[in-house]
Amino acid sequence: MPSRLITRRIVDWLAFLFASAATLFGLFWLFWILWTTLAHGFAGLNGKLFTEMTPPPGSEGGLLNAFYGSMAMILLALIIGAPLGIAAGTYLAEHGRYSRLAKVVSFLNDVLLSAPSIVIGLFVYELVVLPSGHFSGYAGALALALILLPIVVRTSDEALRLVPDQMREAAFALGIPRWRVTSRILYKAAATAISTGVLLGIARIAGETAPLLFTALGNQFWNAQFGAPMASVPVVVFQYAMSPYDEWHTLAWAGALILTIFVLGLNLAVRLVARRGK
Amino acid sequence: MQQSREHTLKAFDEDLDRLRALISEMGGLAEHAIQEAMRCLMQHDIDGAELVVDGDARIDDLEIETERRVVQLIALRAPMAGDLRDSIAALKISAVVERIGDYAKNIAKRVPQLVGGGQIEPISLLPEMARIATEMVHDVLDAFVNRDADAAVRVCQRDQAVDDFYDSIFRALLTFMMENPNNIGQSAHLLFVAKNLERVGDHATNIAEMVYYAATGRYMGDVQKYGGTR
Amino acid sequence: MMNDTPVYQQPTEAMPLLIVPNQDNRPAGATQVAIRQLNFFYGKSRALKDVSLNVVANAVTAIIGPSGCGKSTLLRTINRIYELYPDQRAQGEIEIDGRNVLDRKYPLSDLRRKVGMVFQKPTPFASSIRNNVGFALSYYERLSKSEINDRIEDALNQAALWDEVKDKLNQSALGLSGGQQQRLCIARTIAVRPEILLLDEATSALDPISTAKIEELIHELREKFTILIVTHNMQQAARVSQRTAFFHLGELVEFGRTREIFTNPVQQRTQDYITGRFG
Repeated sequence: MPSRLITRRIVDWLAFLFASAATLFGLFWLFWILWTTLAHGFAGLNGKLFTEMTPPPGSEGGLLNAFYGSMAMILLALIIGAPLGIAAGTYLAEHGRYSRLAKVVSFLNDVLLSAPSIVIGLFVYELVVLPSGHFSGYAGALALALILLPIVVRTSDEALRLVPDQMREAAFALGIPRWRVTSRILYKAAATAISTGVLLGIARIAGETAPLLFTALGNQFWNAQFGAPMASVPVVVFQYAMSPYDEWHTLAWAGALILTIFVLGLNLAVRLVARRGK
Repeated sequence: MQQSREHTLKAFDEDLDRLRALISEMGGLAEHAIQEAMRCLMQHDIDGAELVVDGDARIDDLEIETERRVVQLIALRAPMAGDLRDSIAALKISAVVERIGDYAKNIAKRVPQLVGGGQIEPISLLPEMARIATEMVHDVLDAFVNRDADAAVRVCQRDQAVDDFYDSIFRALLTFMMENPNNIGQSAHLLFVAKNLERVGDHATNIAEMVYYAATGRYMGDVQKYGGTR
Repeated sequence: MMNDTPVYQQPTEAMPLLIVPNQDNRPAGATQVAIRQLNFFYGKSRALKDVSLNVVANAVTAIIGPSGCGKSTLLRTINRIYELYPDQRAQGEIEIDGRNVLDRKYPLSDLRRKVGMVFQKPTPFASSIRNNVGFALSYYERLSKSEINDRIEDALNQAALWDEVKDKLNQSALGLSGGQQQRLCIARTIAVRPEILLLDEATSALDPISTAKIEELIHELREKFTILIVTHNMQQAARVSQRTAFFHLGELVEFGRTREIFTNPVQQRTQDYITGRFG
């Protein structure tokens, strides 16, 4: 065999080796994190987790108020952020394709998308918490909405742009009015992509901790009122992990595990939706 | 209209060129056959005449080849407009040239019958008639290769001369036969030879009409054909 | 065969009252679409130059020419679909049944009703087959559910698709094959009963058998519709059309009966193009 061929084979094999090693390295840490979370969190999984409130230091309890708070704030954030985001994305993709304003809006959206979440939290703190005088679930939900919004705008915009122009033209050529074309035809065509965008947005805000720290703050007791401080899973994990109490550590791990499973579940849902959309 | 540029598909041009070459070759063979047949007739060359008869097979083969190529061209190249007219014309012309070759063979076949009969007066007109007819064939096939509609029209106008020759020979032979019944056998053969040559002239005008249509997409009018003499 | 003339109780969504046209009163060979001195601009560049053309009613007119010669542009001008894009504009007149449709005052809804368009790529809506075909109907006419179903069946029959889909009308249109999807788009377009059909390379994306089926369809539809077909396939133009227009670099070079154009064209450029001598 000529030497050039041998060299090529060796280089090929080395490249493969490095790529595999890098992959294994990344996977190693991933699996270690998952394993650790599972191992530690599993110990804390019991019925009380979902039925009892966060306990005072030293005693056992659950995370019910945190689960509820997270769910409630995510839902409210969704109600605020998703329709707005889809509408803005629709504007960018459909009506604003040739306008300067749309380019500016798109740019600003990208800025918001990459803004550190703690900055958003601080903003909401200034805007809502200080004037109202207290921390609240509203503030927390608003902060989450502001993180969700640019994600949904971006994915809706791209989802609608993926719909071929010829479909638009075909609908217009039939004489269907513009907003009907958008609502009945384009949305249906882009539905899969838009909903996966929303699901991924939810997965993102589910784990946000920093903005909640000084908007919703957290609440040791049960609170279903948005007007008052609300507990949330990430904040509880933050607080309890750094405490000296073992029971709290267990709860923190359990919370982390549930959060991880939730995000994992959302990603699986995205896959399912995408496959059914085909 | 000009076939100015070349086809984007070079093979298409090659196919059309080969078709024209085939027609040229057939025409050349047919012309030569007529001339040879006439020569053998005048010089009483029986062996030469046999060669002409045998040579007709080649013209028949070329006609089959042409037909095959035209069918292929139409199927594979889907020719349009001028190219299509050229292809169809090539097909029809090859059939006519084949018939011209058959006339030459026919003349050659009569040579043995005529040898030993002595010189007849009317026979002196035949070579000239054959020359004009052969020239017509030559010119009209050139006109096809060059897509020259005007040349085709000029060929048509010469047919009158061939017809006139035929009329003269006919009258002369008739007189000859009436003078002496022993001459009837020979005269009859010569009449057929003259008739064949007259038919060659007519076929040349047929080819001229096909060439005209292929080149222009229109049909030759009566005025052009007969040059206003009728 | 007479078309129905449904009566409207009230307009839907601020659209004017519309009357279904009757194709049968037109004399043979009449002009349905008269294009006069049409110029079209993409930004600063001129894509169509002083085009004048009379499209004959109830016949198929093919528009052929090399890429970029303006054939699709012409089609898109007739139904004003170019107005979706701000830097495209048209000058000149296009008269359909005597009225200039390029005039700002001519209602777009009337135009879109009269003129249907089918595109190169089949674009079924992400919906059921039934919904695809009947979708636009509700914007033009107020029909009962059974009337809508009748119209859907009628359109699918005309598009030679009924037998293949009659058992799965509620299934997604995306499950059909390419050729079926295109026939669905044709059915969708003719469901609103336009007079004029614009087919923009409608079979370019399909396999030969689907193409042949649609060509046969065009042949049948010609009795009821005036059809303009843009194609880069000259053999298709020769098979399907009665008149052919040859465009080159935005100009109309030659327009005449198809059999004349393909056996004995007048212009040298036409001859060069159809015999494959174009550079």
